[in-house]
Amino acid sequence: MDAQVIGVSTDSTFVLDHWKKELNASYMLLSDHQRTVSEQYGVLITQVGMSNRATFVIDKDGKIASIEEGGSAIDPNGAETACSRLAHKKAE
Amino acid sequence: MKAIRALAACSLVVAALSAQQITPPKTTLKVGDQAPDFTLPDSSRKPVKLSDFRGKKVVILAFFPAAFSGG
Repeated sequence: MDAQVIGVSTDSTFVLDHWKKELNASYMLLSDHQRTVSEQYGVLITQVGMSNRATFVIDKDGKIASIEEGGSAIDPNGAETACSRLAHKKAE
Repeated sequence: MKAIRALAACSLVVAALSAQQITPPKTTLKVGDQAPDFTLPDSSRKPVKLSDFRGKKVVILAFFPAAFSGG
């Protein structure tokens, strides 16, 4: 599989670690506790200091290939499921 | 009288809530833009750099509001 799902939230690493174990998630969860990356990507909800739900697909050259924001953005769990389905299809 | 009071209290709550309505942000990044590079700690505090995936993997960067929020 040549895709990496990375979940980003403003939670602390401690919270993310707990959640990753609870979900038994295999994808990466990154902590943007300083809110700098959420701000950089323009997805920070300033009133609450949390990231909006948003998905950026970044190609192998580091360029943005797709942007989904709000309700249409997928959650990291869903992204991983979609990816593994694709991988399964390719293998058939 | 009780009903009117309850109704008044209810509408106050609704007014307070709508006054605080949250406007979702809109990114200024566009498809085709270079994704801003960053380094963030993962859940085991190991630093992860976005550009380390360049030339190797497609990255699906999924921002979500908070842990335990179904995302």
